[in-house]
Amino acid sequence: MVNPKTNDTEDVKNAFIKELKLAKRSEDLNELRIRYLGRKGIVTQMLKSLGTLPPEDRPAMGKAINDLKSTIEDMLKRRMEELALLEEREQERKDAIDVTQPPKGRPWGGFHPVVEVMHELMDIFVGLGFSVALGPEVEDDFHNFEALNIPPHHPARDMQDTFYLQGNELLLRTHTSPVQVRSMLKYGAPLRIVCPGKVYRRDSDPTHSPMFHQLEGLLIDEDVSISDLKGCMVHFIDKVFGRPLKSRFRASYFPFTEPSLEMDVECIACSGKDPACRICKGTGWLEICGMGMVHPKVLRAGGIDPEVYNGFAWGLGIDRVAMLKYSLSDLRILFFGDIAFLAGGVN
Amino acid sequence: MLVSWNWLTELVDLQINVNDFAEKLTMAGAEVENLSYTAQKLDGIIIAKVLEMAPHRERKNLQVVTLVWGDERAICVTGAQNVKEGDIVPYAPPGATIADGSVLGIEEFDGVKSFGMMLSADEIGLPLLSQEEGILILPQDAPLGGDAASWLGIKDVVLDVSVTPNRGDLLSMVGMAREAHALFTGSRLKELNFSSTTELSDWPVSFEGVTLEDSGCPLYCLGFAEELEIAPSPIKCRVRLALCGVRPISNVVDVTNYVMLLLGQPLHAFDLDKLPAPEITVRSSRNGEKIATLDGREHILSSDDLLITSGGLPIGLAGVMGGANSEIDENTRRILIESAHFLPARISTTARRLGINSEAAYRYARGVDKAKAPLALSCALDLMKKWKCGKVYTSVIREGDAAPVEKFVPLTAKKLKTYTGAGDLSEASSILIPLGFEVKSCSEEKAIYKVPGYRMDVEIEEDLIEEVARIKGYDELAARLPGRIHDSATIGLESRTERKIRETLMARGYIEILNYSFISPKFIADLSIPASDSRANPFALANPLSMDQSLLRTFLLPGMVNVICDNLRKGWRFPVRIFEIGNIFLREGANLIEEKHIAGAIFLGKDDRSPYGDAVRDDFFTMKGDILALADAFRLKFDVLPGSEPFGHAGQTADVISDGRKIGFMAKIKPSIERRLELPASLYVFEVTFEPFLMAKPPRFGEVHRFPSVYRDISLIVPEDVTVKEIGELIGDLSSDLVTSIRLFDIYKGKNIPEGHRSLSFTLEYRHPDKTLSDEEVDELHTRLRAQIESRGLKLR
Ligand SMILES: [Zn+2]
Repeated sequence: MVNPKTNDTEDVKNAFIKELKLAKRSEDLNELRIRYLGRKGIVTQMLKSLGTLPPEDRPAMGKAINDLKSTIEDMLKRRMEELALLEEREQERKDAIDVTQPPKGRPWGGFHPVVEVMHELMDIFVGLGFSVALGPEVEDDFHNFEALNIPPHHPARDMQDTFYLQGNELLLRTHTSPVQVRSMLKYGAPLRIVCPGKVYRRDSDPTHSPMFHQLEGLLIDEDVSISDLKGCMVHFIDKVFGRPLKSRFRASYFPFTEPSLEMDVECIACSGKDPACRICKGTGWLEICGMGMVHPKVLRAGGIDPEVYNGFAWGLGIDRVAMLKYSLSDLRILFFGDIAFLAGGVN
Repeated sequence: MLVSWNWLTELVDLQINVNDFAEKLTMAGAEVENLSYTAQKLDGIIIAKVLEMAPHRERKNLQVVTLVWGDERAICVTGAQNVKEGDIVPYAPPGATIADGSVLGIEEFDGVKSFGMMLSADEIGLPLLSQEEGILILPQDAPLGGDAASWLGIKDVVLDVSVTPNRGDLLSMVGMAREAHALFTGSRLKELNFSSTTELSDWPVSFEGVTLEDSGCPLYCLGFAEELEIAPSPIKCRVRLALCGVRPISNVVDVTNYVMLLLGQPLHAFDLDKLPAPEITVRSSRNGEKIATLDGREHILSSDDLLITSGGLPIGLAGVMGGANSEIDENTRRILIESAHFLPARISTTARRLGINSEAAYRYARGVDKAKAPLALSCALDLMKKWKCGKVYTSVIREGDAAPVEKFVPLTAKKLKTYTGAGDLSEASSILIPLGFEVKSCSEEKAIYKVPGYRMDVEIEEDLIEEVARIKGYDELAARLPGRIHDSATIGLESRTERKIRETLMARGYIEILNYSFISPKFIADLSIPASDSRANPFALANPLSMDQSLLRTFLLPGMVNVICDNLRKGWRFPVRIFEIGNIFLREGANLIEEKHIAGAIFLGKDDRSPYGDAVRDDFFTMKGDILALADAFRLKFDVLPGSEPFGHAGQTADVISDGRKIGFMAKIKPSIERRLELPASLYVFEVTFEPFLMAKPPRFGEVHRFPSVYRDISLIVPEDVTVKEIGELIGDLSSDLVTSIRLFDIYKGKNIPEGHRSLSFTLEYRHPDKTLSDEEVDELHTRLRAQIESRGLKLR
């Protein structure tokens, strides 16, 4: 029992500080709290003994004891927080893991470069006002050839060796142009569409696959110029390769366009600087896209009056663009489903 | 088409180098794919005469040759068998360079020094030039001591030009020269003149004439020569043919080829004495009729092939290839030379069906100017005279209509301006005239041009616009984005849907695959598809590249399985997920149904070790999660119910149901098929049709819950053949309307559960829309539910 008369709040405080230093766990702190601040605690007792002091001493002593009480409370609280932090730190040390362990669950899958580029191209052309049109892969002669100004025996049929089906008149479309024909017949003019999809030609070597992908486009309006066609193509090339590339437009021939052009783009591998470049074979140019102004016969087959409307169309190989974009050398490997190759595209 | 630069510049005077020419020709539509510089390394080759030959003392197969030119002599050793004394040969003395770049020196053959060597056609850089093995023998008039390379004219640039199918007129040297002339202002076109021919026959033979029975041959010209001596053609002609990729054969055959290269008109020579009768009839073939052609093949004809016949028998496939029976040989003394016009469609049909790619058929299929036929014949007769092949007659037979077809095409300034931005018709004329067009009339707004006969491709105004634009060059034209948007553009529902599906599947760990649409017939056996299954009855390609790619796929699964098997073969061993979105082709009666499908496969891996053990292993239910997530992404409700597939594990196969209709399957591959395909671990597969995803429902959100939910669990012991779905639905039916969700949280078999049974534990959510439920209220509801379940004879736990 403390004698309030002889008690010095400083002594109590010093004793508390000494004890506090020894407290290592929150339980120790609780015990300290009870001993000093509990109902029968030292400080409580001191407050209770205030009454025994002369009235003139009481205010000073009361203040001193109350100060002591709040000091102890503060110190306890601060120490409590410190201990909690230490305990948490200890807990966390025990629970530590190696975050470099492999993840659980499934990794992200992987995209096929051709499909990825196809969607990218669709977005570019939607941005230019072209809507996406789709059509069947098995076609008839009318939509694949006749309506496109390729009558039977036309030498242009040699340009596109065709797969035919056994037992009927059907064929695997050799280009996505039949979708253009179908769209003209369905929607009429004016028209702005792109037609992405699989096409088939009877050909197989490192740069030809019997199945590949095209994205064709068609714009029909009044007074369309070759300049409009060039503008669209230059825009698309810059977007798809992410930088302005030099291009050139050569005369060419397609039965469904007149005039017909071919677009070459500066070699993305060597920019025309490497005579031994394997991508451009040293020419500095890459053939990228055939195109032209829609032949009046094709417009007529599509139910559109060539006296009122004209337009342009193009057809580009998506696989080729994907190969250039992702620096791939063999077209056919795209269709072998090689998991290591396709999963590698993720990195 | 191979174009000799030397020959071309003889026909048109071009003040330009070959590279600039090639560049401009390419830009104007005839792509120069390659420039090859022939015999460029050849240096110091001398024309020399074989003075004497003596056998080598030691080596029987060698001869010691003494060569002479002017005052000089040289000795060399040769193994060639074809040289004899007096022959003129190309000789490479020590220090000279032969075609492959090697420099010759002095070599010793068992004591005899050989100074350089005599050269073969190969060593001189033109292998085609010589038919016989050994040294190239030069004509007797070759200048001794002269430079062999320049005298032969073999140093040249050969342009490999890819001519588009519409430009048959460019398949000739004169056509190329004309194009060059049009491309380069200021160039001059040389004129070619041929002797005129007469039409009345003074042939000293009783030839009865030509009969044209088929409209496929509107014009047929025949020339005649006799007292022929079949010999090699002049060396310079042979060099020229060889440079252009044609093998020289004999003077008569070479004349026909030379004229074809020069003018683009195919010619054919028949041995008159081999004709079955002294007449020629052009008619269509009879179905099943046979002909043996010059290339040694026999062909069975259909009823629309065009035939050259004599005495009723075929002697040639018109425009494609001559018959073996009337072939020129070394004994030929009298010939008929044919120069005819055939319709392109007929020739291309025959050539394509029979698979004959002759130079003649190639040109006829692309259209040869009718006016060329008589001209080419004159040219050929002139050459035969010049080459002294024999007695050549200037009179010819001409059967059919030689009148040229006249074509006039208008060009308006307005359209020209719309297409090219400039509508200057006089500029247009200045471009068209060098190409051979004639101005019929011309005003400010409109000009009319006469199209030259060889430009069969020019028919409409747009064709003329192309001529003007391509000669000017497309790079001259400005590029601009087309204005006038009429409607907002859209990627469309189908592509948008496909995009979302692939992105969902990729996010769930599937790798995107593209398989060929054609598959091998072995999928039917591999996957045990019964014949009655529509998937076992695919459409076949009439002309597949290989058996492995001969059928149109009827579903995507075979491709998925193949990918796994192929990758295993290549050493893949880990778990992997793949998917494909693509079209399949089903037979429905006589019709073909083309449908888009989505398929996926999960292969558990030959090596599935993981630091986390079983917790991360895929199985049927992880794949089910993927399919339902796909449905959720489109707010669709799919059911997965017990089902069966011929390739599916009988206990682990399900139908995927949407709107009460089966849209696909998911399955573990049947154990026997796993064994057959040598799969080292389980393979789970799914395939669903694409079409339900197009019916995506718009998103809909419910009310925000205002009062808390209360949860109660319930466990039942049920026979193993009762499904979770059935029990879940039963609880749903029996429970109060205040039960807002029923979730399975435990399945237990084993201790305390009778054999053949399992315990299913659900947690039920009770919620009232308008008030907080008290524990007592919920207890009462839950107790009532338990009683009702028990009253159905089900055991609670
Ligand atoms: Zn390059």
